[in-house]
This record gives sequence, C-alpha cells and structure tokens, in this order.
Amino acid sequence: MLYDSAIDEELAQMDQDSEISKRVLAASEIYVPLRQLMRDCVTIDIAESTQDAIDLLIDNHIGAASVVEDGILRGIFGERDVLRKIFNKDVGDLTQIPVTQFMKVDPQTAKPHDLLDTAVLYMARGRFRHLPIVDENQHPIGMVSIRDVISYLVDYFPHEVLTLPPNPIRDALKAREGA
Amino acid sequence: MDAKTLSLPISTLDYKQPATVQVGSPVSDVIDIMQAEGFGCILVVDSEQRLAGIITDRDLLVQVCGKRLDPKNVLVEDIMSADPESLRASDPIAFALNLMHLGHFRHVPLCIWDDQHQEFPVGMISTRDILDHVAIFIESQGGGT
Repeated sequence: MLYDSAIDEELAQMDQDSEISKRVLAASEIYVPLRQLMRDCVTIDIAESTQDAIDLLIDNHIGAASVVEDGILRGIFGERDVLRKIFNKDVGDLTQIPVTQFMKVDPQTAKPHDLLDTAVLYMARGRFRHLPIVDENQHPIGMVSIRDVISYLVDYFPHEVLTLPPNPIRDALKAREGA
Repeated sequence: MDAKTLSLPISTLDYKQPATVQVGSPVSDVIDIMQAEGFGCILVVDSEQRLAGIITDRDLLVQVCGKRLDPKNVLVEDIMSADPESLRASDPIAFALNLMHLGHFRHVPLCIWDDQHQEFPVGMISTRDILDHVAIFIESQGGGT
C-alpha cells in the first residue's frame, strides 16, 4: 500500500511537471509596463567630474548612471564609455574633466507606461545595455537593463531555469567515474 | 517563445567566438582587444590554451580605473576572476540563464573538455545574445510597435 501511494504521488508530480514545462510566453505577456521592472535611478549632476561619475558607478554597483541638469536628463554615462573613450587614451586628469566629455548625449529613453517589448527592441537595435525611464518632463525616474530582461525570463520560467542542479549534470556523472 | 526554447542547446543561439589573452599579458592588451573588437569581456588562457580566467569591462572599471592604476603596469591574472563558471555549447539555454541570473554574470564561457577534464574555451554566450533572441521572437509576433 505504501508503495502504491508513493507511485501515485510520483505520477501526480510528473503530471504537474509536464503541465509546467508546456508553459508558453505569449507575446501579450511581454506587454508588461516598464514601471513594474525598472530599478531606482542613480543620477549625477552634469557639472560633476568624470572621476566622480566613475566612483558613483563603482560605489552603487551599477553599469550606467543618468546625467542630469536641473533634474532633467541630458545624457547617460556607463562602464562602456570608460572602456571605449578613456582606457589606453591620454585623456588627462579625470578629476578635472567633466563627465559631459564622455557621456552619451540625449540617450534613447522610455516612459514608465511603455512596455517591455519596446524596451527589448530598443536595446537590441541600439546595442545598449541600459534604458533610462523618464517622466513627461524628462526627469529620470528609473532604469531598465538587459539584466532586468533576464530576470523577467527567469521569473516567467522558474521551473525550467531555477530547478536545475547547482552544477550541470555532467559534473554529477564525472563524480561517478571509476566507481 | 515557450519552455521548449529553453531546453534547446546554446549552439542554436548566435554565440560569439571568444577573445583570449595569455596569462602574463598586461591589462592594456585586454583593453586594446576589447576596444578593437567591441567585446565586453575577454578570456584568459594559459600557455596550453586552457581557460584560466575571465575579465569583463566591469573588472576594468573597478580594479583598474577605481584604483587609479595604469593598465600597462597591471597583469591580467591580478584582476581576472579565476576558474569562471563555464558551459558546453550543447548545454540547454536554461543552464546559461540560470548562471546569468544566480551568478549575476553577463558572459559565460563555452568550453570543451578533454579526458583530463581540462577546459578549453570555444565560445562565449552573453546576456545580449539572450536579449537578441527575445527581440527576434518579439519581432516575429509583430510586437514593439
């Protein structure tokens, strides 16, 4: 009896797993507003130095920050700008150079009511990682990045992504070798 | 886009060939390659071409720029993340998503293993590759308008 009960339980679990694995991300479900996904916005004033902007990225563990003038978005500065425009180039003392010299001016933005699919296409076509979210007055109020898209996929398919073994199965097989 | 997509091998995505530098190289070499190729990450290999570490643009920002170091005077092994997590191109896309999400990785090396379990890099999968895949799906559905 105990054996039959265990089998039934296992079959029920298999049925449940089978249902979950058929999950489909419909296009309509990518129509989630960005306000639900965006992270807090980190800003730096347009008068600050490039070194201050770099320190801001490091201290806040972020890849890009919004550059503002009187609270209005004027540009975006990120680690890609450091790599492409500063490293291995004789740019001078970064504490004396304003961040405006290296920031991307007038970046692509989105509104909080815009949808995730729009953000994905902006980032894919524009080849950038970060999308500032602004209000109707161009005040930055959030940031969406490629990482947020990844998190959305993981949240949508937790069974497929998060129930994996801590190491790929081949490691488990490796451990059995010679046994 | 469905759950089956995540069980497809990573090789079905348009992943990149890896850029590599040898242990002992100055970080300025890494920067030159990243700038020339537009990569955000580079793999460090030993003299036998075995994977030794990984350096990202984030590592350059924090370890070099943040510490006001001259990249010509820093060696790759001083700032690389040693023995990074890696996958096979035949592994499911879900494995890559898992590592990217839980490990906060933007890049995961793709390797082959010899019979001594030494790993040799053959590719690189990034969060951008996943994003591009989602973008293709959205465009196929007529979204993003």
